[in-house]
Amino acid sequence: MPSVCFYFQVHQPFRLKRYSFFDIGKDHDYFDSDKNEAISQKVAHKCYLPTNQVLLDLIKQYRGAFRLAFSITGTAIEQMRLYAPEALASFVELSKTGCVEFLAETYHHSLSSLYDEEEFREQVRLHRELMLEVFGYQPRIFRNTELIYSDAIGALVSDMGFRGCIAEGADDIVGWRSPNFIYSMPGRSTRLLLKNYRLSDDVAFRFSNRGWECYPLTAEKYAGWIHSVSGAGDTVNLFMDFETFGEHQWASTGIFEFLKHLPGEIFKHKDWNFATPSEVLELYPSRAEMAYPRVTSWADVDRDTSAWRGNRMQLSALEQIYDLGKAVRWQNDPQALAIWRKLLTSDHFYYMCTKWFADGDVHAYFSPYESPYEGFINYMNALKDFKAFYLGRGSEEEEKSGG
Amino acid sequence: MKVLMLGWEYPPHISGGLGTACEGLTRALSRHGAEIQFVVPSLFGGEHAPHMALMDSRGGTPKVFGDLTGKYPATAQPKKRKGSKAKSGIKTIRIPALLSPYLRPESYDAAYQAAGSGLGFTAIFDLAVESEKISLMLDDFEEGVGKARYGSDIFKEVARYTAQVIALCSELEFDVIHAHDWMTYPAAVALSQLSKKPLIVHVHSLEYDRSGEAVNPSINQIEHFGLHAADMVVAVSYYTRSVIQQRHAIATGKVRVVHNGVYPRTVVQRYRSKRLQGRRIVLFLGRVTFQKGPDYFVEAAARVVPHVPDVLFVLAGSGDMLPRMMQRVQELGLGAHFEFPGFLKGHEVEEMYSLADVYVMPSVSEPFGISALEAISFDTPVIISRQSGVSEVLAHALKVDFWDVHRLADLIINALLHNELRQDMVAMAREELKRLRWDASALRMLELYRRLA
Repeated sequence: MPSVCFYFQVHQPFRLKRYSFFDIGKDHDYFDSDKNEAISQKVAHKCYLPTNQVLLDLIKQYRGAFRLAFSITGTAIEQMRLYAPEALASFVELSKTGCVEFLAETYHHSLSSLYDEEEFREQVRLHRELMLEVFGYQPRIFRNTELIYSDAIGALVSDMGFRGCIAEGADDIVGWRSPNFIYSMPGRSTRLLLKNYRLSDDVAFRFSNRGWECYPLTAEKYAGWIHSVSGAGDTVNLFMDFETFGEHQWASTGIFEFLKHLPGEIFKHKDWNFATPSEVLELYPSRAEMAYPRVTSWADVDRDTSAWRGNRMQLSALEQIYDLGKAVRWQNDPQALAIWRKLLTSDHFYYMCTKWFADGDVHAYFSPYESPYEGFINYMNALKDFKAFYLGRGSEEEEKSGG
Repeated sequence: MKVLMLGWEYPPHISGGLGTACEGLTRALSRHGAEIQFVVPSLFGGEHAPHMALMDSRGGTPKVFGDLTGKYPATAQPKKRKGSKAKSGIKTIRIPALLSPYLRPESYDAAYQAAGSGLGFTAIFDLAVESEKISLMLDDFEEGVGKARYGSDIFKEVARYTAQVIALCSELEFDVIHAHDWMTYPAAVALSQLSKKPLIVHVHSLEYDRSGEAVNPSINQIEHFGLHAADMVVAVSYYTRSVIQQRHAIATGKVRVVHNGVYPRTVVQRYRSKRLQGRRIVLFLGRVTFQKGPDYFVEAAARVVPHVPDVLFVLAGSGDMLPRMMQRVQELGLGAHFEFPGFLKGHEVEEMYSLADVYVMPSVSEPFGISALEAISFDTPVIISRQSGVSEVLAHALKVDFWDVHRLADLIINALLHNELRQDMVAMAREELKRLRWDASALRMLELYRRLA
């Protein structure tokens, strides 16, 4: 009785505005509310609203047999509240069907799991509170930013009481084993759900690629691939960005028709069902332990963290912003804390990624900057002002006496 | 493929990027099988061009290097003839140069007759070409018109070169004529008409780039004439192609883009270690003229200095705007932060690029901007204006609109403050340079030759 397990990632960063060196000391607002509003509106209308409508219809059509999970970041929810409340309402409506699970993650979609354990725990706590507040839901499964995962991060997640954690089914980790089973963290009962990246990426990245030998991808063809797992797996974990629907793959590619027809095609094979991550853990046992000796993620072909930590600029910016953690928390100024946390969002560092930039690939596509260098410059200018203004306020006297 | 190339300068005797580009392109072309005969107005000795026949338009003592032997025609030096009466039976090639309208081939004779009766010609040459007598007329080569910007004798030089090239090349064998920039256009057009061989004019820069709206009408007209007479136009960037279309109304299909390339260099560590000890250096290196935007460099510097006290701006090069720039630096009180080393050459250029922490090319209108690639090849990160062709091919650079001195200052400050930014830029740009090879330009060029010949 194998399952199809859908989880969609919903995230929006607070993008920075053009912030010049000459704004330092004069302007203490770093975020581009116009651009963030415009993008929130665009994504809401191209992706969130139409896809949620399809999902709601499917849940009704199959009387609850179609089920799925979301992970929605705190920064995405904040921006929907500010700029697209109708989109947030559509997620709330879906949550009321009882067929939707919400996963836990860091509120600010940060890399804190790699840099600041205290901050990591705090952001996960904030996100849990938010899920409870917005959806009345208590998440039991954890999903880290960009599926960043290692044994060390697993131990943290396990100690926080989660029943399971999502991870990338990276080839070098999974090896000869299949991502289509449940595994557990070494020496722990906490479970791991591995992304089936081939089948996930067939939809997320290749769906509209005319050069792909399997183009065009129909629901029937795709369901056939999934059905072929029968007998060789318990669950096919299809994890992807929610923006796959309508934003990365435009409506004109037929992605919505694909989604509408997929459950019917899956159900043609009587053994198959849909289940959310928590349900999958109820249905199937762990088959083995799975160790992650290196840090993995779902990004790029490297499936590592080099998209955020791959060059000197990124490492320097990350080090400098996380260095402020103790001081910001100690100062306990809610405004400073909120801004600092928005600056922790991983996207800012992704924009500084230089690998493949010249090829005009996805990194360039997602960036609001003309180049990774401009992304870095903008961030460092804002960071300089943040340090001087928000952290300088409480410690001016100290600094003067010290130097 | 036998190519007759007409150029104006060749390394090491160069005044700008034109000679460097010609060297790069011809070396790669010859590697890919092209036989090149390259004619410049003068050879000075010291030119090293084993890959082709490099010829002095004056003929006489042939300075031919390498395997290919440039054949010099038996024709003697072109005779300068006084008076302007055309003999019957003499074929007349007339090149409009100054203030005269663009002439269509069929109107040469009419214009010649009209001119003979009134207007004066200062340069007429009789030539013997394929047993025909040719009278080459260059209208009104008057001194002084181009004096301010180009020196007193540029038009005389062009006239002399034109006549000599026709005399020299009429007995050479070639499949296609490839002419670099306006100085060679009159010769190229005349030769193309005589030989019936296809003509490619290669635009490395336009009068509009060099002078903005204050164009020298004569040069502008020669460019116009050459661009229209050519069978194909090659532009060094899409930027330049768009200028050609706007300014000279040449159809898109006729203009092809072939980007310049760069050859790999080895960074001289001796220079680099000096960099670490001294002040942080921001470099401008190029002609100090309107086109290169030195004034934007100075204005940006004024905004940088208060925030980076140990910065040193080096404005290297010479040009008509240099005195004004020196004066402006004094007015702004930036004397302690500026150096004007003048025109640099050879190893001085290499040392300067190596010493700089960041190279700035704030050009107002830059068809390509090969110096940005050279700076990178010496491990120096670059800030380039968006109004440049090189910004089309270089992703790992900081880019700015030339007029936005505020943003330019922002970028300079950040480039100086953050080693990690400079290091990442250089590391990535070096990789990028590997793809901007002259070989790629040459292969594209050969394809265009084949299409014409």
